[in-house]
Amino acid sequence: MKSQRALGLAYLTPYVVGLLVFTMIPFVASLYLSFTKYDLMSAPKWVGFDNFVKLFTRDRTFWKSLNVTLLYVFLTVPLKLAFALFIAAILNYRLRFINFFRTAFYVPSILGGSIAIAVLWRYIFASEGLANMALDLVGLGPVDWFGDPGNALFTITLLRCWQFGSAMVIFLAALQSIDKSLYEAARIDGASQTRIFFAITLPLLTPVIFFNLIMQMVQAFQEFNGPYIITQGGPLKATYLLPLYIYEEAFKKFNMGYASAIAWVLFVIITVLTLVAFWSSKKWVYYAGDKRS
Amino acid sequence: MKITASAALLAGAAIATLGLGPARADELRMSWWGGDSRHVATQAALKACGDKHGHTVKGEFTGFDGYLEKLTTQMAGGTEADIVQVNWPWLPLFSRDGTGFADLRQLPGIDLGQWSDADLDAGSMKGVLQGIPVSNTGRVFFFNTTTFERAGVPVPTSWDELLAATPKVKAALGDDYYTFNAVKETAQLLVTLFVTQKTGKGLVDPETNQVAWTPEELAEGIDFLGKLVETGAIKSQKQEASEGNVNLFEKPQWAEGEIAGSYEWDSTWSKYADPLKEGQKLEPVPMLTVEGAVTDGAYRKPSMVFSISKNSKHQEAAARIVNCLLNEPEGIDALGDSRGLPASKVAAARLEGRIDPEIVKANAIVMAASGPVISPFNEHTEVRGNFIDTLEEYAYGQIDAMDAAEQIIDGTNDVLAEYE
Repeated sequence: MKSQRALGLAYLTPYVVGLLVFTMIPFVASLYLSFTKYDLMSAPKWVGFDNFVKLFTRDRTFWKSLNVTLLYVFLTVPLKLAFALFIAAILNYRLRFINFFRTAFYVPSILGGSIAIAVLWRYIFASEGLANMALDLVGLGPVDWFGDPGNALFTITLLRCWQFGSAMVIFLAALQSIDKSLYEAARIDGASQTRIFFAITLPLLTPVIFFNLIMQMVQAFQEFNGPYIITQGGPLKATYLLPLYIYEEAFKKFNMGYASAIAWVLFVIITVLTLVAFWSSKKWVYYAGDKRS
Repeated sequence: MKITASAALLAGAAIATLGLGPARADELRMSWWGGDSRHVATQAALKACGDKHGHTVKGEFTGFDGYLEKLTTQMAGGTEADIVQVNWPWLPLFSRDGTGFADLRQLPGIDLGQWSDADLDAGSMKGVLQGIPVSNTGRVFFFNTTTFERAGVPVPTSWDELLAATPKVKAALGDDYYTFNAVKETAQLLVTLFVTQKTGKGLVDPETNQVAWTPEELAEGIDFLGKLVETGAIKSQKQEASEGNVNLFEKPQWAEGEIAGSYEWDSTWSKYADPLKEGQKLEPVPMLTVEGAVTDGAYRKPSMVFSISKNSKHQEAAARIVNCLLNEPEGIDALGDSRGLPASKVAAARLEGRIDPEIVKANAIVMAASGPVISPFNEHTEVRGNFIDTLEEYAYGQIDAMDAAEQIIDGTNDVLAEYE
């Protein structure tokens, strides 16, 4: 028994050490640094709440970046979840070559975050790129995907939505676990497909929708590669998400203290929104067997 | 025989103890950024110089992207390599008060007589020599002479000629043709060039450590950039963004000669000439000037410096290796022009006739042109970021030239104030 316990602890040790050294210590250190002026070259100098005061009262870039980030998250997450659910619902049917299609739709998720795909995206949506060529074929005028500040964020959003595979796979697994007898009963009662979807499928999927919502929201707040490679945050900072701002403050301007303060504000925003989601979940998430339901 | 061997060993030990023997073999590290050809050349040079001076030098090399972040982290932890290649504009970041690196004047072994006083001043912070300039570089005008020939227009020698040539080139070859290019930092340096030519002053006044230009002077330069867009000489910032902000040398339009000129580092001639389609010719030309210019406004500076870590335990050995790389035949031959035209006199003399003649020509233009001393703050990340962001706001019609000038000057002075 003792040896099993020791073995268990031994298995856990690498993870716990990794968590402490590479996550917890930097996490706590960044909190301390957020109250300092630190340029990496000299020792951090305690400045109290100065970084946060500057952030909230004098930093126009922060407010611009925060607005852009929130807009990006509120655009990306629902779009991506809706699209992932739509594709998962189609792939839930017994079609010919269904396994091929399931794999094919998952591939963008593996490739999506890579630098190469971001570069490819830049070429596809360039003024004379594939997207405008396709629009031209159907008689629509060209769209200024990157040059127009109003469109640039949407173009970055599309890249994120295109990586819907992981959410789709989770939805697909959830769809397949729904008890078929519920559908049979509904059909016997004469329910339409739409009614079945909204009365049976969607309620039973709410735990998975909730899980995907949290995961996708956290990931969207941390988006970096797409805007960094494709638009470099422009034009006019229309795609300047907070992670880009943190990166530039920390590693290009050496304002580590200030960058840590922005990172902590971002962390608090993510935490608050997650708590709101958890609180609201009591009203819309259905757990089979839950006494509340 | 045994007695002889033991005696030799004892004698060797005694000599070593007295410090009379060959130099102690140290294991050193050197870090740099670059492309493949530079990596190969530097490794060969380190091997040659290491063998000559009895040391082992391990190379740590990457591309330019990420090098600053890596070096910053190492400097913060005191784990930087013994010999470090540093971009010249980074000197104020790492050695604001002249204590970031070892004082190279205090280390024996480097023949500083091979550099001009101006070069040594450029590598100094607060009067302390922090880095040895490896090469000097500057911005120069490149024109695709084939495009101008096809349009039947002479290659411009002044800004007025460029503006006059633009409609003729478009009329002869098509509206898709542009006579010039200026985006991001090239746009910043073009505005800088215009104002410097007009006023004879660089961006930063070294006496006051403040911006040397008045808002009116800078606004005129910004208006000039706007005029280049209006006349169709260059693409607008919006057009560049719409096309995905692709590097000039990667653009098909550049390869085809549809963009016929730019203002680039002299050492990058090959990077811009190589992608051109067969039959097209790219030539460096003398500085274009504005009417009433008081100077050519040459933007030249050390491209990079070699510094020695203040934390190094082998500073003297590192100094010998640096001297070998820059001043001794083994290092000079191996490095060649992998870092541009050498700033060291002995290296420049030894490599004469062995470097691409177009690069030599471009460098000669930059070095012959007149202009004020360039402050490293021109390329300070925050100064440059503020300048480029403001030009973007101007290009998108968010602010006028005067507001843009004031924004750039205020932002730059804020940064400079932190270094007082």
